[in-house]
Amino acid sequence: MKKTKLGEFEELVLLTVAGLQQEAYGVEIKRELEYRLKDRLSVGSIQSALKRMEEKGFLTSEFGEATLKRGGKRKRIYTTTSYAHKVLNEMKDIRAGLWNSIPSSIESLTPELKVI
Amino acid sequence: MTQPENIDPPKWPLKLLRLFLNKEYLEEIEGDMQEIFVERVAQFSYKKARRIYAWETIKLLRPILLKNLKRNAIFINFAMYKNYLKIAWRNLIKKKAYSFINIFGLGLGIACCLLIFMFVQDELSYDNYHEKGNRIYRVIHGWEASDSLNRKASTDSYWVWGNAPIGPALKNEFPEIDKVVQFSGRADILLSVDDKLYQEDGVFFMDSTVFDVFSWKLIEGDPKTALAAPYSIVLTQTTARKYFGEENPVGKLLKGSESAGRAAAGDYLVTGVMEDVPANSHFRFNALLSLNTFRKSIPEIFNNWGYVDIYTYFLVNEQFDERKFNAKIPAFVGRHRDGPDSKYVIAIESLKNVYLRTDAQRQPGETGSLSNIYVFSIIGLFILVIAMINFMNLSTARSMERGKEVGIRKSIGAARGSLITQFLGESLIIVLLSMVVAILIVALALPVMSDFTGKAFVIQNFINWQTVPFMMGVMLLIGIVAGSYPALILSGFSPVMVLKGITKSNKGGVNLRRVLVVFQFSLSIALIAGTIIVYTQMNYLLDTNLGFDKEHMLILDYNYDEAVNSKSEVLKIEMEANPAILSAAFSRSVPGSYFPNAGTEIQTPEGEMKMMGQPIFQVGIDFINHFGLELVAGRSYSREHPSDSSKALVINEATTRQYGYTNPADIVGKKFSQWGREGEVIGVVKDFNYTSLHRTIEPLTLPFEPYASRYLSLKIKSENIAQTINEVQRVWSQLAPHRPFLYSFLNDDFDRQYRSDFIFRKLFTTFSCLAIFIACLGLLGLATYTAEQRTKEIGIRKVLGANVQNIVLLLSNDFIKLVIVSILIATPISWYAMNKWLEGFAYRMEIQAWMFLLAGFIALSIAVFTISYQSIKSALTNPVNSLKSE
Repeated sequence: MKKTKLGEFEELVLLTVAGLQQEAYGVEIKRELEYRLKDRLSVGSIQSALKRMEEKGFLTSEFGEATLKRGGKRKRIYTTTSYAHKVLNEMKDIRAGLWNSIPSSIESLTPELKVI
Repeated sequence: MTQPENIDPPKWPLKLLRLFLNKEYLEEIEGDMQEIFVERVAQFSYKKARRIYAWETIKLLRPILLKNLKRNAIFINFAMYKNYLKIAWRNLIKKKAYSFINIFGLGLGIACCLLIFMFVQDELSYDNYHEKGNRIYRVIHGWEASDSLNRKASTDSYWVWGNAPIGPALKNEFPEIDKVVQFSGRADILLSVDDKLYQEDGVFFMDSTVFDVFSWKLIEGDPKTALAAPYSIVLTQTTARKYFGEENPVGKLLKGSESAGRAAAGDYLVTGVMEDVPANSHFRFNALLSLNTFRKSIPEIFNNWGYVDIYTYFLVNEQFDERKFNAKIPAFVGRHRDGPDSKYVIAIESLKNVYLRTDAQRQPGETGSLSNIYVFSIIGLFILVIAMINFMNLSTARSMERGKEVGIRKSIGAARGSLITQFLGESLIIVLLSMVVAILIVALALPVMSDFTGKAFVIQNFINWQTVPFMMGVMLLIGIVAGSYPALILSGFSPVMVLKGITKSNKGGVNLRRVLVVFQFSLSIALIAGTIIVYTQMNYLLDTNLGFDKEHMLILDYNYDEAVNSKSEVLKIEMEANPAILSAAFSRSVPGSYFPNAGTEIQTPEGEMKMMGQPIFQVGIDFINHFGLELVAGRSYSREHPSDSSKALVINEATTRQYGYTNPADIVGKKFSQWGREGEVIGVVKDFNYTSLHRTIEPLTLPFEPYASRYLSLKIKSENIAQTINEVQRVWSQLAPHRPFLYSFLNDDFDRQYRSDFIFRKLFTTFSCLAIFIACLGLLGLATYTAEQRTKEIGIRKVLGANVQNIVLLLSNDFIKLVIVSILIATPISWYAMNKWLEGFAYRMEIQAWMFLLAGFIALSIAVFTISYQSIKSALTNPVNSLKSE
């Protein structure tokens, strides 16, 4: 945890990629996240998060198929690495531990946060 | 979605993306953007989709997604530059002699340029500190020449010094003139307070408007009123300290003597202290007396359009148009001329032009010389060019040595551009080192330079926003000009040829080097010839018989003091009683000093009286004998003729010609009338040079007027001069205790007129020595290089039986030919240029062939001497050593 900082937004993107599996390319990730967050996201923010995480070793990528509606340009499909899974699990455990330490009255006030 | 081909995203964001985005990400992101755009078009309007697309594109420009050339480029270049630096440094160290010649020669050249630049900057800075300077003008007074049409443009016969009433007249009749400031000619006055008594030579009687027009700062006192009342005085800081020490002088009194022709003696009230007048002012002074003192003492001259003793400057308003003003001048002058015959005219000069671009006479202070500025700038440029040529020559000559390096660099993949950068960079490094050397030389040379020019140069004045970019620019320019030729040649080598060891004989390079050497030596020889001519001319000036005795003539200046004049007979007897003093004489002027002009009527050969103007020397009775003036007709003044004191006149030969006589004897006995005196011309003296030899001898009258004298001249024996001066001082302090004892030698005073010529000579000599020195440094470098190149050839020749002379000749031959060609080129050029210079002298020596032969001989022998060191060294080398070194 110390060495690799995973920002809040980055974590969201990473989880989305993990969830989308073979469909995880730029537009689909954006669509999924916009749907979940109920907010508009820019291509730039998604792309820079993806590239940053690729550099940090959370993601790998390869070209997928080209389609007409993409103007003949190929997709880039992102896959999470095992290192990413490890870090995501760690994060989840830390959070779970933190949630457990909160007295139950407060926990019941915000049940929907557990979704993430 | 229906017609995807027709709905395209806007073009420019795509271009932006392609330009800036990292190539690796481009395809993916472009595709994503397109896909989203297509969706948006289905969702919103086409226009909105395009707008969103553009906005999204701009948001894509984030550091992480952009082209990342920088990081890689820096990495590669750093190593490359480091290597360049290393190679450059190794080259400098490996060939210490060449590096020294390059850096030192170039440094010397740059230093000369910087010094000259400083001098020129200083000359150009004159009077720039006046805030209203562009609105200040002055009047110059002239007389229409009879052939007025072709002389109208020239103002060299105009005087800056003129009459007084023109000032108020200008102010009243021209609304565009805001302020007029008038002041007297440079006055002398004896000022004293308590026991401090000094003769002040640099004072002016000045209008109270002076501080409105000129930007001199008053430290104490009110600028409006300081010079309003008669007998007020404003001192400069230095003068104030001289009289009053650290006390505040305002309100104190200074006892002033009579100032001849301007003010009666009186007590001056100190009303202000001003900052010292900056050195770059076209006239300077120690103190200002109020012009009203002058007005009060001699009021009549302020209404007299014919009386000359006033300088008139004026400040104009913003709407002033010089051309319109000039058009109004003739009418203005017409209203004020004395009569219909008057030829009086005026012109105006802007303050911008009064130091360098004026040829009017009777200036209030010193003037500079624009042509000197040009000459020095050209010489400075010459020296720089010579130094740069050294650099170019040595670099191209040695280019072959670096051929292998270029070949290897190229085959590894260096582009021509980066090789050019490398070599230009190397030359910039050398220029940078030269600059350091140059600055050291300038720092060392500045005191000497101040000696040369009489100006105080302080290096701090030259470190400002103008000089720093100038120097950077010069460095860059030198580096690029000097480095470009080698850079282009070297980077053009074909790697295959070079690495195979085929060095194509670079004929073009050799020829270029020859041309450059000839150019260098032509410049040097022209400078040497110029120096010889300047020297000969100056010696001619100093040795020419001026027609009067100027050696061992002691001049005492007592500034028209009436008490001294009334004791003149006693003084003369007392002085002549000393066996060391051969004779004594009083006069108003001595040769080389100031003299007034007078209008004189003399009978012409036709018998009518004719009015002409000429300079006038009012003299005591013995002046003519005392100065050894030769009489060509008639007699001198004599005590045997008592009427001489009022009815006689001695003139010079030029005056006899002025009035139309060919034989001087004919004018003797003719009637004259001058300054209220009438009588007969009694004698004619041979023409003598009473001004510097820049000018021809003009007509001169020498009326007998013992009580208007200013100087006592004593002809003394050449032995024990110091003792004689002591004795003279003793007599002086007995008979004239109230006057300080001020003495000088006539030859020093007279030669002071050549001050600027002496400066010219010194600078010329120095710079021509430098030029030949730098050129020879380069020659030495080239000779060394050639000898190195031909080591094997020399070895073989020696083995086959060549002796030392043969080899020395072989090596020197080429260079000597070049120097001879240079002599042929330099001679006509310097002959032409120096002839122009000599035209500034009315008396000049002829340029003779020997001067150029001598210049050529000097250059040739220096060159031979330089080369011979190297060629003899190579000729003496044992061939075994040179041949075995494979």
